[in-house]
This record gives sequence, C-alpha cells and structure tokens, in this order.
Amino acid sequence: MRGLALADGYYRDYGCRAKELKGEGKRIMGYFSALTPVEIISAAGFIPVRMKGNVNEPITKADAYMETIVCPFVRNAFDSALKGRFDFLDGIVIPHTCDSFSRTYDIWTYNLQVPYSHFLNIPHLTDDPSLEFFKEVLATFIKTLERVTGIKISEKCLVDEVKTYNKNREAMRQLYGLRRSDPPLISGVEMTKVLAAAMSLPSDESTDLISQVIEEVKRREKTPGEKSARIMIVADQIDDIALVEIIEKAGGQMVMDETSIGSKVYWSDVEVTQKPIDGIAEHYLRKIEFPTIYRDTGTTYQDNLEARFGHIRQLVKDFKINGVILFIYRYCDPYGFEVPATKYYVESLGIPVLYLEDEYSTSTLARLKTRIEAFLEMIG
Amino acid sequence: MAEERKPRKTATEAAAKVPKMVKANMMANLKAKEEGKPVAYSFIVNAYDEILRAMDVAPAWVESYSGVCAAKRDADRFLGKAESENFSRSLCTYATCGLGFDIWRKELNGEMPPDAPWGGLAKPDIILGSGQMLCDPRYKWPQAAQHYLQDVPAYVGGFYWPPFDRNLDHKEVEEYYVKYAVKGLRGAIAFIEKHTQKRMDWDKLEELVDLVDRTWNIFIEAYELRKAIPSPMDTGDAMNTMVPLAFMLGTQEAYEFYKDLYDELKRKNEKKEGVAANEEYRLLWGAGLPSWFALSDFQYFNAKGAVFPVERTYREAELISRLELPKMSDPLEHIARRWIRYWTHWYDRARHRPGSIPEVERLIEYIGDYKIDGVVFHQAFSCRTWHSGIILQAQILKKVYGEIPVLILEGDIVDISTYNEADTHHRIDAFIEAMGTAKSKR
Repeated sequence: MRGLALADGYYRDYGCRAKELKGEGKRIMGYFSALTPVEIISAAGFIPVRMKGNVNEPITKADAYMETIVCPFVRNAFDSALKGRFDFLDGIVIPHTCDSFSRTYDIWTYNLQVPYSHFLNIPHLTDDPSLEFFKEVLATFIKTLERVTGIKISEKCLVDEVKTYNKNREAMRQLYGLRRSDPPLISGVEMTKVLAAAMSLPSDESTDLISQVIEEVKRREKTPGEKSARIMIVADQIDDIALVEIIEKAGGQMVMDETSIGSKVYWSDVEVTQKPIDGIAEHYLRKIEFPTIYRDTGTTYQDNLEARFGHIRQLVKDFKINGVILFIYRYCDPYGFEVPATKYYVESLGIPVLYLEDEYSTSTLARLKTRIEAFLEMIG
Repeated sequence: MAEERKPRKTATEAAAKVPKMVKANMMANLKAKEEGKPVAYSFIVNAYDEILRAMDVAPAWVESYSGVCAAKRDADRFLGKAESENFSRSLCTYATCGLGFDIWRKELNGEMPPDAPWGGLAKPDIILGSGQMLCDPRYKWPQAAQHYLQDVPAYVGGFYWPPFDRNLDHKEVEEYYVKYAVKGLRGAIAFIEKHTQKRMDWDKLEELVDLVDRTWNIFIEAYELRKAIPSPMDTGDAMNTMVPLAFMLGTQEAYEFYKDLYDELKRKNEKKEGVAANEEYRLLWGAGLPSWFALSDFQYFNAKGAVFPVERTYREAELISRLELPKMSDPLEHIARRWIRYWTHWYDRARHRPGSIPEVERLIEYIGDYKIDGVVFHQAFSCRTWHSGIILQAQILKKVYGEIPVLILEGDIVDISTYNEADTHHRIDAFIEAMGTAKSKR
C-alpha cells in the first residue's frame, strides 16, 4: 500500500506502525500537543508518537481515575491508554499547555507506570526572560532523557533532527498547497487521515508518506465541479474525520485547518542555530500560535489581536476561505476564553463564524449536524 | 435578583469580623478610584501583594467579587451575561462571573450594572495576571477581560515552580525558577511604573516582605491551635478567616487579624470550647474550593458532631522556618523563593515514600497532626485546577496511608444551578454513618 491508502491504514489502526517498530526493538515515546519538541525526543533515540483518543469509543474506564471536568480529549486519550492502546510506550511527555494536562500529569504517570515520564514546563509567555527560562526547561528535559538512556544527546544529533523535521514540515506544507485550488485536490477527510497518520510515524516515514500522497493527488484531474463553501476549522486536536465528514457531506469543502495536529505543527520551520536549543526554543515558544501562549505587543488591544490571530487572516486569504468553524471542546479554558475575541477578529475580516462547543465524541455530533448544514446554506 | 439570606453563624469572633472586612476591602477599590489612586484587577496567590501595597496601588480582587456575588446568590445574571457573549458555562465561573460584570458595564457605557453587590468593582487602570502553574484563567482571564476593557493595559508575568518529578530532585532546578520569577516580578514593577504615576519604594517593599513573613507565621501558628480537642474553629470559619491572607497580604491589618485570631483560639482552648457541641468526628477538608452559596453545609456537619479542624484549601502559607530560606538581600528574590519553597515543600517527603505525591503527603501530615477521622473533598465542575486529581489523591491516600473514610462532594464555586441541598445532606449523612462504622471497628 502507498499514499492515501497507506495513510488510511495508519489512521484506522492508529499506532500500528509504532507497535511494529517496538517489536523490532525500537523505543517509543508518547507525547501530547504541537508544543512538544519532537526533535529532542528523536535525538534521544525514541520514536515520538502523538497521543490521541478515539471519538467513536465511549469513555468506560477513565472516569474511575480522572475527573469528568477535565478536557474530554484528555479523558478520552487516557481512556484509550487504560484500555491498552498505547501499551507499546516506553515513556510519555506531557507539556504544560493547560490545566487539563498539568493537573492530570500525576494521574497519567501513576496509572500508566511507563518507564519514563516528563512534565515539560512550557511557560505561557514569549518575552525574553520566558525564552531563557524555556531553554533551561529544555536543558532539563534533555538531561532526564540522557539519564534514562545513558546516552549523551549531542548538538550534531539535535541539528540533524531539526533538519529532518523541517523536511517533514516542508512536505506537509506542499500538500497543504494542493488545497488552494478550487476544488482542492485533496478532500478534508483525506487530509485529516494524512495528518493523523503522519503524527504516528518516525519522521522519515512520515515525510515519505506525505510525498507519496502529494504524488498521488497531483495526478488527479482538476474538475471544475460545483463551487461550494471553502471552510477552515479552528480548533485544538481534531484527529478524527467525523466532524469533517459532516461538513463535506453537507456540501462544504474543508480546505484549511488551524488545528494542533495540522497547520500549527507544520506552518513554520525550526531555524538551524549554532546552539540548536536556541532555534528549538524560539520555534516552540514564539513561532507556533497557540492559545496557551499569551501574546502582548505592549501597544494596543487591536495590535494584540493581530499578534494573536494575524496568521488566520493570512490563511483566510491564501486559501480563499468563505467560512470558519470554531470548534471548542468543553472544559477548555485556553480556547474557551478566546471565543469572543477569535469570533470578533474573524468576523471583522468579513468571514462568518460558526462557534460550536462539544465533546470529543461522535455520540454528540449529530446535534451539531443541523447547525453546520444551516451555516453552510447561509454562506452558500 | 439576590435571594435574601440570613448571615451564617460563625464559631469565632474573628470569622464574624470578616464580612465587614471583605466589604471594606471591596469598597477600598471604589474609594481609591474616586480619589484618583490607581486600581489594579488582581488575582490572589499571584505574588504581587507586597509590590501593590508598596506602590500604593489598590487591588480590585475579581475572584473575591465573584465569590461575593455567589454568596449573595446573585451571580447568575453575570454568568448569563458572559454566556451571551459565548463564554462557555464550563469555564471557570469566578472568571465568567467577573467577565459578565465587565461586559454589562461596557454595555452601560461604564456605569455599574444595576444593584451590583456591594457597589460593584472599580474600573481598573491596569490588569495584573500571571503565567504560572496554578491555573489557566490567571493569564486567559486578563486577556479575555481586555476585550471589554480595551483601553486598560495588562501585564502577565511568569511565576512557575518546579513540577514534582520522582526522577528529578526539584532542588536541581530551583535556581532558574527563582531567577525567572524574579524577572517576572521586576517586570510587574516596571509595568506599574509605566502605566501609573507610582514609583517603587524599595525600603517599604523590604518592610512589607518582612511583614508578610510574619503574617504567614502567625497565620500558621493560629491555625495550628485548631489541633486541640475539641477544635476551637473549623473550615466553615476558615473560609472567612482566609480573607486577610488571600486578599490583604502585606497589610498590618492582616497581621493583626491573625494575632487576634491566635489569642481568641488560645482562650477557647483554655476553656475547651469547641465548634461542635459534641465533637465526635474530626475531618480534613482535603481539597476543593467551597460552594460559596452553601457554606452553611459546614454547620450541617457540625450539627452531626463533625468538625473540620484543618483544610488544605486557602492555606497558602507555611511557617517560614520550615521553608529553610537562605539569607537574601533582594526582596524580590525573597518573594520568589518563599513562594517556590512553599509550593515544593512536600516534594521531598513524597519522593521518599514510594507511590506517593506531594498533595497526599500534605494530607497525611494533617491527618496525623490533627487526629483526623475522615477526609472530605469538594469537586467544583468549573475549576479544573483545584479539582482535577482529587480521585487520584483519594486513591493514593488509601494505598500509602491506609483505610480512611473519604467523601467527594460535587458542585460549583459560583454556579448554583448544579447544587442540590437535600442530596448533599443525604450524602453527608451517609458519610457520617460510614465514619461511625469505621470508628467502631477501630
């Protein structure tokens, strides 16, 4: 299998490749969020695998160990872990992005009992003192990895990983580029599968998979088709096709995302700096737009809005977006507190916004279907 | 409209004084505004207490105001206002109640919302937030509030402490955490100087840092008098007596309050005057903010012979000598190190007990020191920070300490819609019964 079919396989049996590699003696590290520096994990000799849940499966075990007031994505992923889906992990890295992670780190480590675990204390700020602090945090992270592996992580090794992941990002951006045409060469459903598959693979395999998909979809004939609404989704971790399927079955085209498994991961490269940790810190703290990172220009509120959401303006323009779906998980403080500002900013661009709050589950999606259909009808 | 309620009876004279203090504290920001003094929206435990007092900036405590609205059962209209702006009901209700207030005031072109409890909150000149471990709203709320207060500058400083890691001694990393926190505090001073006419009085700051040390000490010394049997004060009162520590830290009044409390508890102990007529069970309030609209539930416990001589909640202080602070000449370093040592105080004990975590070590310390029979937790649905991990604490407690009856109550801090008094009382009854059985087996 190659290309989209291969991506579909990795998507459906998430983690299957990591399991195989584990069988071959490789070490696997689970991690969360676009803010975890995968380059460091790889440089330590682990294969980083992004954690996900399963929206089709009800939470049946997690509630005995984790409060229901925690983010539904975190609860669902934890439920999956308790059910053995991530039994191949040699370790887990949980970044300090939000309360749902910082307050459940002990729950994860206590119940999973993986050989290595680390809470990566990412600051919420981007000023110079925060950047310096973040470099110290990363140095501590490296130290703990060296202790567990007994192997020194060299600067050369870090630079190599930075270059490898930059190639991966570049490939994914090329694929995103094929969504600019009208209609796009790759559907939102297909893209979501590729994004999910890519985060479950070693970087070289991930890049190879993306290149195969690019080759495959480029061969597709451009059909004029009926013009339909070009939708961008703004959300955290949308790692399942269910929501996208609703949008596309209702006649919309999901042509862009601003999600934590999508463009947030791939939109910028890590600069190769003399001290590799400098480029890595700069990238993860300052280049990735994330609601858990507080941005303040020190000037006006409008300037701050531009600093927080200016990238959305660019994406709207580049991908000719007609409508934005702002999808927030319940109990999510970082995204939840941003809803009025995000909505205000996007609407000020003349783009209508549909705000949805829901669970990380397909069981509740049906009630959103009508609202999505009405939204698509409205924007035409 | 607010539901008229009788004031709750308190066991101590000190606690009875608090509502007036809270009101005076709230009115202070309105008065400061009238007098042209700068007002800052602030959040407790953000470590700016001494700085604000030394620079003569009036803090307007937004969390406290939401708590007041809740206690008066008058929060729903503000929560509704925030919801109408698409702030989810599942977000921190301290924040959404405060945001509802700001939204409403903006709609009224700066006028106070009608019948705002205790005259409302003054419009701030600055907003002070904090990026830290305690909770997300500490930096997201200022950002969200700015949407309705666009001409008000905000500052968010970094103030983190090392996370507990069984494989890494926190002392290995403490220095860079302190260094970063000091920069965050220095940034706050520069911000205040830039946006107000105020200048830092460094001599005064040093005096206030010392005053806060002494306040922490007298607070702990007073609270430790509650170890007596019968206990002279319980958590019901502590939810009042925490006010000076949380909202008036860095003032002589706060220090004097705990000195008076110390004297009062000592007198009560000499007379063997307890909270409950018949003290049968001693409980630990293990975690969770209370339902401010249902503080009378503590009296329901008392009526059943159960008292809470100790609580984890709003006990953000420790005897300074126990923190083993080194000698420091920089008052900002003192503030930073004091807080960081406080937050990591129970780490060593947790590292030395297999399977334990710092939160549980703290519970175990209190269970022993205060001769506790059972532990009660409260899980507020809208606050992840204090209320996630409660199940784990209960599980680890059982594993590393042993069998002890545990009750986990559910509700919220501000939002009354999830609260059911009859159901809560039934659960308390069942818990008391379970404790009776456990006690008789012992």
